[in-house]
Amino acid sequence: MILIDDVSKTYRRARGKGEVPALVRIAASIADGEFVAVVGPSGCGKSTLLYMIGGFVPMTAGRILVDGKPVTGPGPDRGPVFQEFALFPWRTALDNILFGLQEQRVPKALAKARALELIEMVHLKGYEHFYPKELSGGMKQRVAIARTLAYDPAILLMDEPFGALDAHTRTMLQDELLAIWERQRKTVLFVTHGVDEAVYLADRVLVMTAAPGRIKADIPIGLPRPRRRDDLLRDPRYQNHVIEIGHLMDRPVAV
Amino acid sequence: MRARSDRFGSALAPLVVVAVLLALWQAAALAIRSSYLPPMTEILPVLGRLLWSGDLYPDLASTLARLFVGLGIGLVLGIPLGLVSGRSPAFANFITPILAAFYPVPKAALMPIVMLWFGAGDFSKILIIVLTVSLPLVYHAQQGARAVDDKMIWSAQAVGCGSLRRLFRVVLPSALPEILIGTRVAIVIGVIVTITSEMIVRQTGLGNYLFTALDMGQFTLTYAVILVVAALGFLLDWAFEIVRRRLTVWAPDRLDADVAATS
Repeated sequence: MILIDDVSKTYRRARGKGEVPALVRIAASIADGEFVAVVGPSGCGKSTLLYMIGGFVPMTAGRILVDGKPVTGPGPDRGPVFQEFALFPWRTALDNILFGLQEQRVPKALAKARALELIEMVHLKGYEHFYPKELSGGMKQRVAIARTLAYDPAILLMDEPFGALDAHTRTMLQDELLAIWERQRKTVLFVTHGVDEAVYLADRVLVMTAAPGRIKADIPIGLPRPRRRDDLLRDPRYQNHVIEIGHLMDRPVAV
Repeated sequence: MRARSDRFGSALAPLVVVAVLLALWQAAALAIRSSYLPPMTEILPVLGRLLWSGDLYPDLASTLARLFVGLGIGLVLGIPLGLVSGRSPAFANFITPILAAFYPVPKAALMPIVMLWFGAGDFSKILIIVLTVSLPLVYHAQQGARAVDDKMIWSAQAVGCGSLRRLFRVVLPSALPEILIGTRVAIVIGVIVTITSEMIVRQTGLGNYLFTALDMGQFTLTYAVILVVAALGFLLDWAFEIVRRRLTVWAPDRLDADVAATS
């Protein structure tokens, strides 16, 4: 359970030219095993919120509790996945996935077996020994997701993970993520600016205002699971959610 | 196919350049006819005898020994210093002014002073080499450490990789391409300062051999030794480039990417 308790974030401007509010009095709670998407116009601070939950960026006011404990820094209970992949370029796909396991001193044979299992899970068999530069964007993000899943965090913090991918690859990875989530039921916080992506994946969508970011709406997505893309696209409830959230984001719905 | 002919061309190009330079030299020497500028047809046989007789090798060996010891110590000191200062702004603020003031000082010019303190032995020479080669290493390591992607650091932090461990597990490998560029610079200026220090403190080494030949008016021999120094610089750089490429096969390289895309 994640509790975001009246959190604000203010950035100091360069050369002491005052302060800029980035996030204002954010309050929300995310239940265990819930898939929550955060959408909002770019620059609204949605990624910053994610980084604060991860403990990577300090908050200016308020507190964030994860399972009742205040966040003071990063921890293996919260696994990040970034839009830019942030893979270790000097490590092969397999060695990237092994990193977390090595840090946690998992015995070698066990770690390797686990990493190979993950390679299969993200459909990268045959690419174990490829360096990130030899992989396509979609493959890199698969490695990054596997690297994070490897140490089995209870919470996945996904920062526009499919934002840098082409439409077709994005669709494939959305389906793969859903399939993994159906099995593992981790808590997922998924930041995106894609409304359709948010509705397709999430149990709940938090809509944020333009900067400074506040939570404008908290919309439960009551669509049945497991979700199949074809069914969903035809489902009027899906369409209505996409239209409604699109309006909330103060912009016309892209069709 | 194209790649192969390119590779052949790139191996041939330096040979062509050297041949042209030697030919120009020969022409100039024949035109000027001065003992200060002997023709290549005289220098090259002297060079051949020099290498054949083995007369130069003890000096070559002592130059190389000092150079490598100096480089080794410089690497061990410079890289950690650079990496830490690249990650810690407070530490960077502390050492940057010192480095900035020290960089332009010609370290070989400090040789007489260093000799007053530490004598004229190898210690003084190696100290000068270390001081010289450390600077580019510190700078490049610092630059490489600064450029490490925050999100890469966060990904390591998330699994409990602490700051000292991160320095070796994340910052060092991430900065490696930049560090190796610094090392390449360090090798070249290392050769310069090693030989210069040998010219100032005339005991052993290529620098001493060169100045002795000059003192005795053996200009042809002097030029032959200069050619040895040039070849030494070229070979060290060439060998290091092979090592550098091996160590950074993983690094994203625009040229490599282009080749992969067109093949």
